[in-house]
Amino acid sequence: MAVYKRNYTAYQGAVTPVWSRVLVLARYAFDEAWSSKITVGLFIFCLLPCILSLLAIYVANNPMARALIGGRGQEALAINASFFLKVLHTQSWLALAMASWIAPRLITFDLADNALPILLSHPISRFGYVFGKFIALFGSLSLITWFPCLLLFADQAYSSSQPWAMSNLQIAIGLFLGSVIWIAFLSILGLALSSWVKWRVVATGVIFAAVFVPAGVGAIFSAVLRTKWGLLLNVPVMMSDLWQRLLGIPESIDERLSLPTLAIAVTLSLACLVCVGMLNKRIRAREVVRG
Amino acid sequence: MGVIDLDGLEVRLANRTVLNNLTGELQGQAIGLLGPNGAGKSTLINTLLGFHLPSKGKARVFGLDTHKDRAQIRGGIGYMPENDSFIGNMSGVRFVRYMAELAGLPPGVALERAHEALFYVGLGEVRYRKVNTYSLGMKQLVKLAQALAHGPRLLILDEPTNGLDPVARQRMIQLIKDIRKEGSIRLLISSHLLRDIDETCDEVLILKNGRIASLCNIEEERRSNRSFVELETVGATERFSVSIRGLGCECATFPGGRIKLVIPDNIEARDLYVIASEQGVQIRRMNQRRDSLEDIFLRAMDNDQGRTANGSL
Repeated sequence: MAVYKRNYTAYQGAVTPVWSRVLVLARYAFDEAWSSKITVGLFIFCLLPCILSLLAIYVANNPMARALIGGRGQEALAINASFFLKVLHTQSWLALAMASWIAPRLITFDLADNALPILLSHPISRFGYVFGKFIALFGSLSLITWFPCLLLFADQAYSSSQPWAMSNLQIAIGLFLGSVIWIAFLSILGLALSSWVKWRVVATGVIFAAVFVPAGVGAIFSAVLRTKWGLLLNVPVMMSDLWQRLLGIPESIDERLSLPTLAIAVTLSLACLVCVGMLNKRIRAREVVRG
Repeated sequence: MGVIDLDGLEVRLANRTVLNNLTGELQGQAIGLLGPNGAGKSTLINTLLGFHLPSKGKARVFGLDTHKDRAQIRGGIGYMPENDSFIGNMSGVRFVRYMAELAGLPPGVALERAHEALFYVGLGEVRYRKVNTYSLGMKQLVKLAQALAHGPRLLILDEPTNGLDPVARQRMIQLIKDIRKEGSIRLLISSHLLRDIDETCDEVLILKNGRIASLCNIEEERRSNRSFVELETVGATERFSVSIRGLGCECATFPGGRIKLVIPDNIEARDLYVIASEQGVQIRRMNQRRDSLEDIFLRAMDNDQGRTANGSL
């Protein structure tokens, strides 16, 4: 049917597989996330530390530059697990800022415009809907976390005059796993909180608060009960512990205050389950027009 | 196999039975869904879309179970919800394309069909405007466009004329008639407005308190109902009324020569003129009135037992 002929004709062509509809949601969500100039500006800002790290790797591997900066400078520019831990720390906290900006854009528009009855009347489930949004957010955060981190690792492996990559493979694995765990947690947390907050700006604040307020509560809990388990509410400390272990770096805090890896994993899993429950409850309530 | 088969369907929400033992086969090209507020119309639509799990019985759309095969059913359905439901910061064409892709159309085809659907419903000139800048009538039309774009087998329209001015309403009704005439799509139209259903549907399902109050083919119902005729006569009215009673008509006489009668199927209006001529009675006016959908609806509402005798199910 040509557009100028205002007649309706049925569609007879092929349809895409049902599983691929999730990717349609992800693609449109990705477009939505990146249609904002603030997102692009934030992305560029998030890559600045990576560019500085790239410069540091260049300087550390350039004999002339090393000679110029002298002995103490050379120690400071050692490219090792600690260097990559700093990079991972920086990128991960920038990812929090990015997630708190993007996540509300992905879900609050749909909820504010009551789009779920129309969206979910198509062959897509609640899980598919959330998974599509999750892919978009996870993908966006990947661009500023594990992807540039692994590029830096590859650059160091290429630039180093010594065989470096194989003997430091744990760093690459740690960078990847540490980033993936963190951005998966951020993505699910961001979507769950955004689904319950009507205003985008407030949702952004709530995501930050959800990470930092429990840390204060945990500190009070630990101080009052003289226990280390309050740290399980302290996401920054918990993640820092986890990243150090994944990169194979000796822990910087008192061993008595150190949390078992299993406890960290269980806490993060429980937090994710709570978020999934929140999302399910919210979306289930909004998927139909009540009449 | 009907378009929609209901087999003892019961749906409970929050410990309340919203749909109670619905049984029937809907086969019409355009099926009207009528009922007062809270009758269960929207719940029935949501059950057909697979949002609610029946607590008892089954519902089938084109022979597919609404719960087990909901993905397949949703792929073949175009749904236009009652309330505002869209993504406001998208342009009309992008929104319709998005929905068409979700229904399974490849991206290129979805874009082409989105343009076509928007032209078809009359939004061609404003298709690049953001949906949240549309008027209420345009929003109704963009919802219709997204429901049509992927070429569904069944189009579910929930209150399609809600909030429309008379001109926009007429345009929507005409579009629905055109879609029905095209023939490839079956329609299920839920509305409070009897006139909308009367103009567009050939079958009607009337719900009351979650039960089927009536399920009938509108045309057959009209045909099967007796015809009511009002006459204004001059002359020997009493003798004339006795004679037409002799033909098998039920009639009542009123002052001023007015007669109301119900004529059986085998009697034609001509027979009345013949008797009037024989008896020297002048028939000055004859109004023939058939059952309107309103009569069918009111009768169904009066029937506290639920189903009318006409329910063939």
